[in-house]
This record gives sequence, structure tokens and C-alpha cells, in this order.
Amino acid sequence: MDDQETHNITLKINGSVHRVDIDSNWTLNDVLRNRLDLTGTKRACDYGGCGSCTVLLDGVDVYSCSILAVEAQGKGILTIEGLGTKENLHPLQKSFALSYAAQCGWCTPGMIMSAKALLDRNPAPTEADVRAALSGVLCRCTGYTSIVNAVLEAASVMRGIP
Amino acid sequence: MSGELFTVGKSVAPIYGIEKATGELCFPADINLPNMLWMKIVRSPHAHARIVEVNGAAARRIPGVVAILTPDDVPKVLFGPYQEELYPLDQEVRFVGDSVAAVAAEDWNIAEAAARAIEVKYELLPAVLDAEAAIRPESPLAVAFMPEGVLARPGGGRPATAIDASSNVLRGLADRPTVVNARGDVAAGFLQSDFVVERVFRQSHVGAVSHEPRAGVAVYEDGQCTLWCSVQDPYRLQESVAQVLDLPMDSVRVVSTNLGGAFGVKVTGRFAILTALMARQTGRPVKVWFSREEESLDSHNRSALTHYVKAGAKKDGSLTAFEVRTFLDNGFWIGLGENIAQHICTRPMDLYHGCPNVKWEVFVVRTNHPTTGPYRGRADAESHFPIESVLDELAHAIQMDPIEFRLKNRLHAGDDLCSAPGKIMSTVWVEEAARSGAKAIGWERRSTIPAATPGPRKKGIGMALVIHSCGSNPAGTSEAEVVVDREGGILFFSGTPDQGSEQQTTLRQMVAEIFGVGLAEVHGDNADTSTCPFDSGPFSSRTVYATGIAACRAAQDAKKQVLDHAAMLLDRDAKDLEVGQGSVWARSEASRKLDLAEVARHAGGRISGKGIHNAKDDNLFAYGFAAAFAEVEVDVETGEVKILRLVSSHDVGRAINPMILDGQILGGAAQGLGYAMTEGFCFDPRTGTALNQWFLDLRTPSILDVPDIEAVVVELGEPTHPFGAKGCSEISYVGVAPAIANAIYNAAGIRLTELPMTPDRVLKALQEAKRSAA
Repeated sequence: MDDQETHNITLKINGSVHRVDIDSNWTLNDVLRNRLDLTGTKRACDYGGCGSCTVLLDGVDVYSCSILAVEAQGKGILTIEGLGTKENLHPLQKSFALSYAAQCGWCTPGMIMSAKALLDRNPAPTEADVRAALSGVLCRCTGYTSIVNAVLEAASVMRGIP
Repeated sequence: MSGELFTVGKSVAPIYGIEKATGELCFPADINLPNMLWMKIVRSPHAHARIVEVNGAAARRIPGVVAILTPDDVPKVLFGPYQEELYPLDQEVRFVGDSVAAVAAEDWNIAEAAARAIEVKYELLPAVLDAEAAIRPESPLAVAFMPEGVLARPGGGRPATAIDASSNVLRGLADRPTVVNARGDVAAGFLQSDFVVERVFRQSHVGAVSHEPRAGVAVYEDGQCTLWCSVQDPYRLQESVAQVLDLPMDSVRVVSTNLGGAFGVKVTGRFAILTALMARQTGRPVKVWFSREEESLDSHNRSALTHYVKAGAKKDGSLTAFEVRTFLDNGFWIGLGENIAQHICTRPMDLYHGCPNVKWEVFVVRTNHPTTGPYRGRADAESHFPIESVLDELAHAIQMDPIEFRLKNRLHAGDDLCSAPGKIMSTVWVEEAARSGAKAIGWERRSTIPAATPGPRKKGIGMALVIHSCGSNPAGTSEAEVVVDREGGILFFSGTPDQGSEQQTTLRQMVAEIFGVGLAEVHGDNADTSTCPFDSGPFSSRTVYATGIAACRAAQDAKKQVLDHAAMLLDRDAKDLEVGQGSVWARSEASRKLDLAEVARHAGGRISGKGIHNAKDDNLFAYGFAAAFAEVEVDVETGEVKILRLVSSHDVGRAINPMILDGQILGGAAQGLGYAMTEGFCFDPRTGTALNQWFLDLRTPSILDVPDIEAVVVELGEPTHPFGAKGCSEISYVGVAPAIANAIYNAAGIRLTELPMTPDRVLKALQEAKRSAA
């Protein structure tokens, strides 16, 4: 680690530009959580095993623990903080919050970001589509039924179906 | 409580839901402070060794390394979550992953590099890795250098005793188990049996696998220590930090408001004490955050078990005898091993109270595997797989319906209990849970002949009954405070962390109900030792029951004070007054409403109601009952078992929040599915290293693995709780493995006796069945 190079990089996160000094082996997750205090993005392992660190990189759901911060330069990064706020919840956030699809809350940001990537490419997913799309994110609390239902509910809301 | 309820019984949205969905909820790992150091724990690569030397010279040369703590640098003060049994760091390491030293550095990366650069010289000691062999007198000891002054505190009124370090059997010897449950005469019982079944069952050491790896952030300033920490027992941690750092209790503040999963295992540990010591040593904020490997190894998960079971029954369906010998691979520490053993050998024998002859011995064995503890379904997940499997086999042998056979021998309200002598249960709704569950799964579709489906993919249905405590035994303590402030706001304070069960929601619903307001009108705080009253923590499904009783008492106390003051203001008798929607009024003059704020001001600005539930309570704890059902398809060519459906049917007393209750039932059942089918640490038998410490090979169920699970709720009440509720956050885990094992028998005619029930074990059982048939 002593031979790590330090870089000053620019990251575009949730529409804002951040300049940050990093070591070359810091992951995107390290920088989001430990340098920019964007702690909504979680970490549960460090090797792409669970998906709790999922963010969108140019619209694609990726494991922020398995991408070096330097690799994320020049790309549009969307984290849970950029999706919605307490006052203006994204339909996915609303459906997760109201239906107890977020139990301990640790996998929730990753689940929601993965679901966001799904709904962006497929606004009318089936249950099987939801399960396939979210299979890269593990949850230890819910047994997943409430999560699948929350995603389907949000998809309906976003399509304007009451 | 009678009549129409306001918020209790309603599926109101959980209070922390929005913050979880926006990522704003602050977990201990989310705290970053200015000037903060990162700490990394150096961990032992050996299962058992004496530390000869810790050399930090090379690590200190790394730029950014600030401080190192070795066993020589920490106070030799004993602490621990259950009894004082651990030094902050010790001269002996007792499992692969045990703490050796700690280093603090300017960032997480440097800390990790420094931890690798610390050179440790070990003198290897023989590792104890086989619990059965370890009971023999000639076995090496898992703990060679027992710290002086360690006392085992078994609880339940039994005295604390000095630890005999000359045997690996906790408070026992090779011929003397740690705990025995005996009634009647088993030899006579087997003589009366028409059928006797004998089996050996083995269960893997499994991880709770909370997704939030343990974290702690400590600040030490002017003799005051604040610690944000992922523990379920913040008050125990407060006491432990005070002991080790030699501070008064009120100079230590612990905050554990929200945890990212815990499941019973996130308790006071070395990592937390070391973070506090490091903050004092460096004078700077210090953060520790486990890797997944650390969370797997240093976590006090469910022990591996071996059970030798013999059980007998008469043709008429009467159980005649149970004889069981259990070996519990406890890891090196005392932990809660004896308490778990006590419940393993008693609770199922209470569920089958009708069996007159029982002898169940449990050896709690110290080994050099990772330490173990009370993980979801504590003691009952350990015991139900063998018992419910054997009962299924007996039912088949006497050609009786497995449900009817169980119910014939079951516990009834008012029966004496071997798990809690002198106590009785006021409700036992186990038959109702079983019948409702049977209806939901379609029990009548089940073939009474095993392996009846033609072709290689065979379908079957199986079930298990379950007993589990709600409210710990021996009991913990819950204090609660309900405040009416000068603005008329209602505040609820509880010391219990919320690890994802949203128990603050259910507790606040009860408080809201008593004040006749909606959930949104109740605010407050939880699990901050500086603002909240004492609580032992959310263990043993005790929160809704025990903390709930304390919360209701606090709310009733506050309400009584409100009524007394309002009676003076309104010049009425308090008995004539009603409270609701933030006001007080006399029934005879409902138009004249007093605001709660006016009442609070009349009381001096603040009304505080207190409630407590502790070991002296008349309503000490209750038992929850459940029936688990599974429908499976076994591919006899590949050994693959497809879980088609699970039904989890529960005696819950009464649902406080049906949505949260359902979430707990479904989530627990999904975790139980992992225990049944895929999970379990594989330890290298030579080195004691867990070979699967990572998510991809821990094999917790993914969204593609969990089948349709139906939660069935039986609400017939529990008179010892103000709203009739029992706890229900763990019990759904317990019955899944035996229900699936029995469904596999029904499908394919084979008995699976080892967890997890992997395809290779299924194939092995099929081959054995074929061999014995030939």
C-alpha cells in the first residue's frame, strides 16, 4: 500500500461534480462512503458477493465495492441519495418504505438502485423479471416477497396505474 | 383491552421505513467524524496458540499508522456480554480469527496494511476441533490458560461458579454432562414401547450473516467516552467499557439505535472495547468496521451439534420415552452455552409433555472453533430438527397421522414445565396453529405412503410443531418511559435497539393506543444510554412481550398522571375523564377539551410515566407455538430438492402490526430455509479454518431460492400481555428444517439426518435406502 499513487479525480455523482484526492486502489464504495459521506450506499462484503453497495453507473447497476474510483471518472454515478428525498420520494422508495420491504435497511439502497435500473429498461416487469433483475442483491431479513411486491407496486405507480 | 382499537392491530407503516428507503438512516458504520482514525484488528491464523511476541516495528514505519494495541497494552480486566470472561486482548488465541492486536491509522487502507505488517510469533498448541473427542480426559484443552477469576453464570437462580479449566466440558466431565433433563424411567419406557427409533443427527455451525458488518465509532474526551456501536446490548457494553476503562458508568455513552440485522449474535465484544481503548490511547475518534470474513468468524453464531436420539411410542400414539445425548460445539468461551443447553433439553420435552420418560444430556464442549451464541431460534432451532424428525418416523411406524400423533402428546395450558419449574403457560394455541397450517398447505393431499409419486421427481408434504420462548428465561429487564412534554407531545423512550424488526413501531403503537392517538403522534428515542432507560436488548423474541409490558405500564402511568392533573383543572373525578387525540375531557362534558399541553404545564412542564418488566414479574414470559409445513419435489436422479411451498402457522396471541408480523414470519422462514438446505460453515478438520467465509459460498438464500411462503396467524390472545401479544420474530425459523426433512421422507422415503440437506446427502441417503432394500 505504501506504493499506492495518489490521484486527484473528478466524479459526477447525483448530478454534482466532486473533486477528491484518492489512492489508486480505493474503490468507488470507499470514496462514496468514507470521503464524500454518501453513506446511503452500503457495504456488506467487499467482493461483489451481496449487492448492498449497488449504484448506477451510466444507468447500469454495478457493485461499487468492485469498481475502482478511478474507473468511475467521466461516468454518471447515481446513488440512493440522488434518487429521491424524504419530501419527494421516488415511487420505489415509497413502496419499500410503506410496505416493510425494508426490514433492517442494509440491503435496501442496493435493492432499490437495482430495481431502478430494471424499471428504466423495463417499465412493466413480471414477477420473474423482478426476481432475475434483483438476483444480484441479497437480503437476510425479508424472504424477498415484500421486496418483489414493492417493485411491482412502484412499477404500476410509475406507469400511472392506480 | 376491549372494544375498537385505534392503532393496535393495524398494519401501519414502520417508523424507520422512509429513512431506510432514502439511505438516510444512520447506522454505526455510517458515522464519519473529523480527524477520525480507522482501526483494524489483527486476527489469529491459528486455531490455538500462545502469543509469544507481537512486534509492531514494521507497521509503525508505515506512514499514517498512529497507534498499536497489543495484549501488553490493554488493561487486564475481564468483561463479556454474559459473564466477565474475556480480556480485551489475551496471551492465548483460541480460534482462527481470534483477536491478537489492533492498529489505528489515518485511513482504512493504511490500517489494513499495518495489520498485515504486524509480526506475531506464536507457540502452537494442540487444537481441539472434535467436540465428541474433546470430552475425553486425555483430550488437550481448548483453553490452556484460563484467565483467573472467570465465573460461569448459568442464570435461572443457579449460582455462579468458578470454571473448572481441567475439562473441555463446561461445568462437567467426560461422564458428567453440562445439563441433564430427566423425568420418569426411560428404560421402563422403552420396554413399554411398540416401536423404537434410533438415529444420529448432525447440524452445521451456521452464521447469522447480518448484512451490516459490526461497526463501532468511539470518541474519548475529558474522561467521557461515547461509542456508536452495532450491538444489541448497549447497556451491557456501557458497563463493560466503564469496567475496562475504569470510568464511572455515567461517563460512558453507548448508542445502538439502529442495526443492520443482528439476529441475537451482535453482542458486546472485544472489537467494541478495543475501539474505546484506542480512542483513549490516541485522543482521536476511532472507527472499526468488520470485513465479511470478520463478521463470519468473530460473531457467536449457532453451534454445530450432534444428537444421539432414541425415542419410543405405543401403537395407540402415546410417546413412551425419549433418550437423547447432545454434543454442542461451543467454541472456547462460556458465552450462553449452558443456558442454550438448558433450553435444548427441556423445551421440546415441554412441547411433548405427554411423554412420561425422558433423559436428555447435553455436553457443552469447549473447542477451538469460533465462539457460538444465541442465534435466531436459540436452543429450539438446535433441538427441533432431531426431535421432529424422529416423531415423524414414529408416526409412520405406528401408522398414525403425524399431526394427530404430535397433538396426542402435546403440552396443555396449565401443565407444569421442565423448562421453567414452577411456571405454567396460560395459553398453548398449538393445536389451532397446526390445524390452520394443515388447511393452508392442503394436508389432505398428502399421500400416507412415502415415495408414492411415479417417476424420478417425487413430491411430498411434511410438517413439524414448534415451541419457542417469547421473553427470555432467565428474564432480562426492560424499563420504559413515556413523557408528555410541555407542547403536549407524547414521547416514548426505550433502551432496546431496532435491528430491523421495527419493534419501536410496535412498541409505539401500544403507547399510542393507550393515549388514543395515531402512531405518528408518538415520538422519542431508543437505545441511547444517555437518554433512554435500561433494557437488556432485543433477545429471545422478548421485545413485543416483555418490553411491551414495560411500555404499556409506562404509558398507563403517564396517562394516570395526565388524568389526575386534568381532574384538578376540570374539577372532575379522574374516573370520569377520557384521553384521546391530544386532549382530555369529561365524558359528561365532551365539548370542553383540555389540551395535553395545558395538562403537562399544570404538572410543571413534563409528565413522565415509568414502566418496568424484570425477573420478578408475575407475567414473566410466554411460549409461542407454531406449525411449519413444507411441500417439496425430490429429484431422485440428481438429489436436488425443490421447495415448492412453505406454510408457517403461528400462535401469536394477537398481532400488534400484522404487516410487520408477516414480515418477521416470512423472513424467519426464509432464514430457516437456508439452515435446512444450503448454509453451514465448512471447517478444515486439520486447521479449524472456516473455508466458506464469504457470501458466495455462505449460500444464504437469494431471491431465486426462496419459494412461496404463506404466513398463517392464529390470534386467540395471551392474557398476561396488555394487548394479548406474544413475540414472533424467531419461531418461524425453527420448524423449516424438520418440516422439509419430513417432506423429503414423504416424497422419497429417505431420512435426512444432517443439516444442511444438500444434494450429495440426498443422493447418499437414496443409495443407502437402495442398498438396504436389496
